[in-house]
Amino acid sequence: MRLASCNSPWVSKPILILLSVLLWCCSLLANAASSWNEPTQQLARKIVAVTGPGAVGVIVENRSSLSKKDFDTISGILRVNLEALGARPAQPEQAAATAAVWLSENPRFYVWVAEIHQGAAESTVVIVTVPRGDEAELADDSMPMSLRKIPLWTQEGRILDVLVLQEDGTPRQIAVLDGERVAIYRLMNSKWQQEQSLSITHLRPWPRDLRGRMLAAKDHLLDVYLPGVFCRSSSALPLALNCRESDDPWPLVAPPPVTFPSFGGAPAVQPLGAFFSATRNFFTGALTPGVGRLTAVGKFYSAAPLPRDKYVLWLFLGTDGQVHLVDGITDQAAKPGWGSAVASVKTACGANWQVLATGVGENMTDSGADSVRAYEIADRDPAPVSAALEFSGEITALWTEAKGDSAIAVVRNLETGDYEAFRLAVACSQ
Amino acid sequence: MKRFGWQWRAVSSLLLTASLIRSGAAEIRPQYGGTVHVAMREAPISLDPNDTTQADSFARRNLLALIFETLVTVDDRGRMRSGLAVDWQAAPGNQRWQFHLRRGVKFHDGSSLTAEIAASSLRMANPSWKVFAEADSVIVECEHGDADLPAALALTRNSIVKKQGGGKLSGTGPFYIEDWQPGKKLTLGAEENHWRGRGFVDAIEIEMGRNFHEQLNELELRKADLVEVAPEQAHRVAIEGCRVSSSQPVELVALVFSGDPKTADDKLLRSALARSIDRSSMKSALLQGAGQPAASLLPNWMSGYGFVFSSDADLKQARQLRDQVRTAANWTLGYDANDSVARLLAERVALNAKDADLVLQPTTAATVDLRLVRIPLASADPWIALAYVAGTLGMSMPNARGESMEDLYAAEFALLAEQRVIPLFHLPEEYATAPTLKDWGLAKDGSWRLDEVWMAKDKP
Repeated sequence: MRLASCNSPWVSKPILILLSVLLWCCSLLANAASSWNEPTQQLARKIVAVTGPGAVGVIVENRSSLSKKDFDTISGILRVNLEALGARPAQPEQAAATAAVWLSENPRFYVWVAEIHQGAAESTVVIVTVPRGDEAELADDSMPMSLRKIPLWTQEGRILDVLVLQEDGTPRQIAVLDGERVAIYRLMNSKWQQEQSLSITHLRPWPRDLRGRMLAAKDHLLDVYLPGVFCRSSSALPLALNCRESDDPWPLVAPPPVTFPSFGGAPAVQPLGAFFSATRNFFTGALTPGVGRLTAVGKFYSAAPLPRDKYVLWLFLGTDGQVHLVDGITDQAAKPGWGSAVASVKTACGANWQVLATGVGENMTDSGADSVRAYEIADRDPAPVSAALEFSGEITALWTEAKGDSAIAVVRNLETGDYEAFRLAVACSQ
Repeated sequence: MKRFGWQWRAVSSLLLTASLIRSGAAEIRPQYGGTVHVAMREAPISLDPNDTTQADSFARRNLLALIFETLVTVDDRGRMRSGLAVDWQAAPGNQRWQFHLRRGVKFHDGSSLTAEIAASSLRMANPSWKVFAEADSVIVECEHGDADLPAALALTRNSIVKKQGGGKLSGTGPFYIEDWQPGKKLTLGAEENHWRGRGFVDAIEIEMGRNFHEQLNELELRKADLVEVAPEQAHRVAIEGCRVSSSQPVELVALVFSGDPKTADDKLLRSALARSIDRSSMKSALLQGAGQPAASLLPNWMSGYGFVFSSDADLKQARQLRDQVRTAANWTLGYDANDSVARLLAERVALNAKDADLVLQPTTAATVDLRLVRIPLASADPWIALAYVAGTLGMSMPNARGESMEDLYAAEFALLAEQRVIPLFHLPEEYATAPTLKDWGLAKDGSWRLDEVWMAKDKP
């Protein structure tokens, strides 16, 4: 029998993809089962230590957030392990001992409890705990475009920005910015390993809603912009980070000018800087060199450019809750109900430029969970072109990546409190 | 655009309309400024976290946490978090702990936090502890190994307080005391140089001694932005359109005997009483569905095993136990005269007991055989919470074999086996907030996150 290989002309690509997906699913199932093996064995050993070998009536009940699939897997493994230890499953009324097993949980652990009854004796309780993991979530859509989120990094502490330094289809080296350091990680043997941690020095306390941005530099690795502080990395290894008090403007477009593949002769977006308040969470509104004749707008949280044929339309999300559409001559305000973060991306979909804007999550209107949706702005009116992509919490940062076709979103997970960084990309659905 | 047909344009218009309708709800970044008005029932006359004469309550703890901070904090999942200490380590055996202080922290009076001040504050709160400063660290030496010492340091009474002349107190928290009228009103101002950054609101004004009814009126009249709601009223208040947030059940309501059972008959009678109580009907009739019936000291959400202690009434067994004793004493059951729900619960317990041929006389007298109490759980760390309950009830925490959940269960089982306490319910903390109060978060353990809130300038 001939084995199919990637080069086999008679095996079509879809079949290979299907096989890969099947293999991946099998490995996931195997991993899921194996992660329950040890605690289930432990529980079985504890039960048999009380009952001894013989007929045992076992009833298992799920009192936790475990899925039915996991519950069935665990129940199955438990019964197999009990048998292996000599405890023969039997109907409770025919057994010398019965074990009521509950798969329960508390905020930190799955708590598996077995209450064992033997004759008239007082019951015995045995407990096994398993650390809880996080659950993945899926998003779906039915719009001309779809947004995809690709997990980049998760950590307990605050994430201000993530910069992908090297990639070959998938990120290989990333920098993670928090309030105290830039940590550089490299993907080695499918695991992220920290290469270096560069401390950020600052004299004043940070504002409570701290924001920051990292940008790759031409002649050195990266620059870091924080409220009242600017840091520049060295160019030679081992890297160093030199920070100083600074009120330099933050680049709203990564310098030098980002030139995207030409679509209909759209001009490149010229560099634009904006001054950030050293003690607050917003840009002061002062721009350099300005948008056309305008060198100042109102205080704003976030901004994004949308190149037109002959000019660039800038969107500023003001602290007044409005979106200001600034074309260099006019400043038109609108209230499309967006949140306070916006980023624009250049793609091959639709009108080629989309705005990603945050909003309150569709499913959790009062929970504080946010969503991101893509919009196109034909004239001055935003029209949604994707379904809302739901997140597990509040979006604390949304920055366009330097290459312009994707954005980085940072979310604070409401359930775990962890910060999660994602790359957001637009996919054409039709 | 031309590649998309009219169909998606129609869908997009609908979606845009929907997003516009929801525009008032869209989340934006926090805005600075404004004053938060809070109303509460408690009327403390002292702001000293070490003052044990003041009744412990969630309101008092949350209020003090705005002004004072602890070396370590415990999050609502029971995990240790750094506070004024950036890290800590124990010597083998957990008898000697070293806490490294955060640098650059200032008290509200402008002075720096030092290891000496922190050590002195902890000594004051724990006279039996050996606490001293060593360079920029605080060292705590315990008589016995204590793996939970960091969680104990997160308790309000272990807040770091600088006491100055004239009884003036200074803390390091995100808000400083601007004006203090004991038992009436507290005004706090945002500390500009707080190490976690200035709070978003300029001030917090707390009106004290307001009953639930007055608080809801003040919320309706927009005189208060954050008020307490009685658990039994929370459902109705939410139906009436108020934003209500609930913690997990964090307050233990229990019957506590004044002493240990002295005879075998006494034990049987206490068991009979415990079996006679119909918590389910109390929950639906008296608590309007709020809270969790409980036969455990720790709520199930915290331990994960609370359901093992059955809270179901068993009148048949209660009578069987009662019948084993020739004569039963008439017990007096005390309750707080200012707590209307406590009175209703006490009366219902007496009725249930009567069905099992036990005599209980509800009273507000000071000296009673058993008392209906409310105990606010001290921490989301189950070990600390259990030790606190034991301490509050005057019971000794059993020596645990280890730190596992099974050891915790054994300790709780041993406490309940003493038959000093009969748990009834675990109740949540409930609050109603004004729509202009943003990013208000009530943690699972009942902690406020008032230092993170901000006030929307526009009325929604």
